Amino acid sequence: MAIVAKSSKFGKYGRPTLAWIVGLLFFFPIFWMVLTSFKTDADAVKPEHLIWFTPTLENYLNMTENYDYWRFAKNSVITAVMATLFTLFVGIPAAYAMAFNPSRATKDVLMWMLSTKMLPAAAVLYPMTFLTKSVGLFDTKFLIVMVLSLINLPIVIWMLFTYFKEIPKDIIEAGKMDGVNTWGEIKEILIPLAWGGIASTALLCFIFCWNEAYWTVRLTTTDAATLSKLIEGNRAPEGLFFGRLSAVSAAAVGPIVVLGWFCQKQLVQGLTFGAVK
Amino acid sequence: MIERPGRHRPGRFSEMSDAPSFSLRTGHWFERHLPKIVVLPLFALSLFFVYGFIAWTAYISLTPSGIMPNYELQGFAQYERLWATPRWYVAITNLFVFTSLFIVISMAIGILLAILLDQRVRAEGLIRTIYLYPMALSFIVTGTVWKWILNPGLGIENLVRKAGFEDFTFDWLVNSDYAIYTLVIAAVWQSSGYAMALFLAGLRSVDDEILKAAAVDGASSWKTYTSIVLPILRPVFLSTVIILAHLAIKSFDLVVALTGGGPGYATDMPATFMYAFAFQRSELGVAAASATIMLMTITAIIVPYLYSELRKTGQ
Repeated sequence: MAIVAKSSKFGKYGRPTLAWIVGLLFFFPIFWMVLTSFKTDADAVKPEHLIWFTPTLENYLNMTENYDYWRFAKNSVITAVMATLFTLFVGIPAAYAMAFNPSRATKDVLMWMLSTKMLPAAAVLYPMTFLTKSVGLFDTKFLIVMVLSLINLPIVIWMLFTYFKEIPKDIIEAGKMDGVNTWGEIKEILIPLAWGGIASTALLCFIFCWNEAYWTVRLTTTDAATLSKLIEGNRAPEGLFFGRLSAVSAAAVGPIVVLGWFCQKQLVQGLTFGAVK
Repeated sequence: MIERPGRHRPGRFSEMSDAPSFSLRTGHWFERHLPKIVVLPLFALSLFFVYGFIAWTAYISLTPSGIMPNYELQGFAQYERLWATPRWYVAITNLFVFTSLFIVISMAIGILLAILLDQRVRAEGLIRTIYLYPMALSFIVTGTVWKWILNPGLGIENLVRKAGFEDFTFDWLVNSDYAIYTLVIAAVWQSSGYAMALFLAGLRSVDDEILKAAAVDGASSWKTYTSIVLPILRPVFLSTVIILAHLAIKSFDLVVALTGGGPGYATDMPATFMYAFAFQRSELGVAAASATIMLMTITAIIVPYLYSELRKTGQ
């Protein structure tokens, strides 16, 4: 139940107005980026063309023709999808084992996994670059998929665990009585029951993979470069090419914004780690 | 590994220990352990990556490594050089200022927005999604967008001047005393909607009866929030702080995209410091020393937390 204040003029009109104004403030930077992406680089830095300008698709055309947008986009899609699938493939059995066959160490393992997320990535960048270059994995999609999977696995297992532990144990046990094996239990009983939670987790994992910039920028050059790398490559010194940069950024976040719009429930649920049902 | 239902162990994860464990009536050893077998290789791999690389970094910090690793031990000379570097002090001060401001402001805005939305605003789901959108963007995009807005010649300053206030100045981005606050602004924009969602979920889970009782007693909404609801939300505060602190440690991409550590090195953070020393200034030993200090600091925070968690469960 919400604490609904006594009805007053403010409560009826003021609050929704305030909520929407804040909403616009939150959305403004994204809107601004999209607006700027339709300006030429010259117009983007001219104050007189702040709001009134001649929209142009030049930046987008330039991006696809000269900057190979589709190659970066393809790499982003491939690595994010593969990493999400792989993380779920490993994460579902792991969370299953933790939720339904807990052992004394389960909680410690869970805490340990989450604690590794706290370590500063900058500390291991050098050895990582060094090692991957010496074994020839540097700038391969395989490496990026593995890195994305490893960094997202703790959060995915944790989230799946919070969903799985709400499933009544009796249902799983009934499956055991019927002689269904572990794999069958996961496939036939667990996945259909926890489908909503798995979908939210998958969406979150996909978004994290898609947005990952630290490793994808620094462990790739061309073959496995993702959209983060494209944005990074288009950042220029002060005030240059803002139109182009905005177009690249908009094209990189576009899929996430559209996906998030159609999966609002999963987005909210996933981003809050299941706190919002 | 499969355990019989143990004695009751209270604590955060008590649900787990209370779960009935099964002795599997069917299936073979392999099948029973299938989930663990699937996880094990990846588990070993992350152990190797996390601890192997930490050990390597700690070792390198004790060597005279420059542009390339040099495996000759020399003691703590790199640490002495690190603590004699003014830039390092700027970096740790910045991390402290940024992290505390970012967490406090995000939580304050988050809780105010949650209370605002808790009043049954129409189209709440839509507004909530909009508040949360920034969180779904990557730090480099956030940095790019705000770089434009905060740029004195292009963004807000210019806009307000055009509106007639010729003397208006908002040049934090290029002012080395204030540039660190632009990082706070961008990071708060990205995360406060997120804090809102966590608090809103907490508000909605407050027991109806308590609120009704408060209403019967004639408590004002302000009083109800400050003396009843907020204390109940304490666990939400804790998890929000943990998640936001984790984001703050990972703010590297935001710094690189928004200020690049500048002007000069005014907005350097430990992560950008390490990066600059390892890759641009060929001071691998100093970078490793700073990494080791950061790792030890974070461990010093995590270990007591884990320890108290474990002690709560009586292990």
